[in-house]
Amino acid sequence: MKHPMVYLLIQVYFNYMSSPTQIVKNKSQVPIFAIITLAIIFVVGLFVVGYDQGHIFSVVLGESAYEDLYIHELTHDMRHAAGFPCH
Amino acid sequence: MRTVIFLVIVLFSGALAGTIHGMANLVIVEPYLDEAIGIENQNLFASGEEEDIPAFWVEYDAYRDWQKGGQILAGAILGTSMGALFGIVYALSRKVLPQGSDLKKTLTLAAVMWFTIYIIPFLKYPANPPTVGDGETVVLRAILYLSFIAISGFGVVGFYQLYKKLQSKTKIVSFVGYGIFIAIVFVLMPSNPDEVTAPMDLVNGFRAMSVVAVSVFWVSLAVILGGLWHKFRPDAENPNIRN
Repeated sequence: MKHPMVYLLIQVYFNYMSSPTQIVKNKSQVPIFAIITLAIIFVVGLFVVGYDQGHIFSVVLGESAYEDLYIHELTHDMRHAAGFPCH
Repeated sequence: MRTVIFLVIVLFSGALAGTIHGMANLVIVEPYLDEAIGIENQNLFASGEEEDIPAFWVEYDAYRDWQKGGQILAGAILGTSMGALFGIVYALSRKVLPQGSDLKKTLTLAAVMWFTIYIIPFLKYPANPPTVGDGETVVLRAILYLSFIAISGFGVVGFYQLYKKLQSKTKIVSFVGYGIFIAIVFVLMPSNPDEVTAPMDLVNGFRAMSVVAVSVFWVSLAVILGGLWHKFRPDAENPNIRN
């Protein structure tokens, strides 16, 4: 039992057995950058499909966007089907 | 957390589930929408605002085809939006969801979110087809609907904090507490001010299919994200190791 090869084999065995617990380590913390990005996408997407009444295109088209209602008309069917008040 | 992988699978899951939602709507909700818009057209003819002539129907059909195509795009956008919310909540709550596979966890969370931020608000403010709804009240109705969703959603978060602090035998208090809380909110929130003037067969059929299609969305979202999370493991240093 005092032969160096025995110690070497025991060392290799325990390294092998213990290796999964070292690799399994999780980085569970969610980056704040990712949360902010997803939160912005959530708000913008919800507004586009559920609530826009010409607001977004008014930045480019001016007051006429509130009459043309391009996004409202494009999302009209989904707006009704998903339960949002439409008109 | 591998941020890029996390963002990609969350957004892809939402967009794909939303596209499925849009296609489900085309199959099961669209017939009710067409029927309701047909009533609107008859009202336009009766009032003299439009004439029942071939030129009207050519323009109408082209317009409706555009809107039906838009439903798929809108589904993808709304799905990406709701998928983003789902991804945030899942990433933050994954460790406290019931033990098991990622699919079990995503299905559990989707069931909670479906019930609290869709079904409960729907019971108070159900979806309506075209022909129902006064344009003058749309802002009020939008505020009421969004407020109820927010109150219910934040209510769940609040009572979950209580759930974490309670001992096992008393955790039921948090569920009862949320039930009482949302029941009070349900009673206190103003009702939809608009009268439903469309045939109730149409309205009820539309609402039932609307619930089915939205439910398809939540199940799709959970299945897709659960599968992708299991495959790509954005929260693990070594994606080849499962836990």
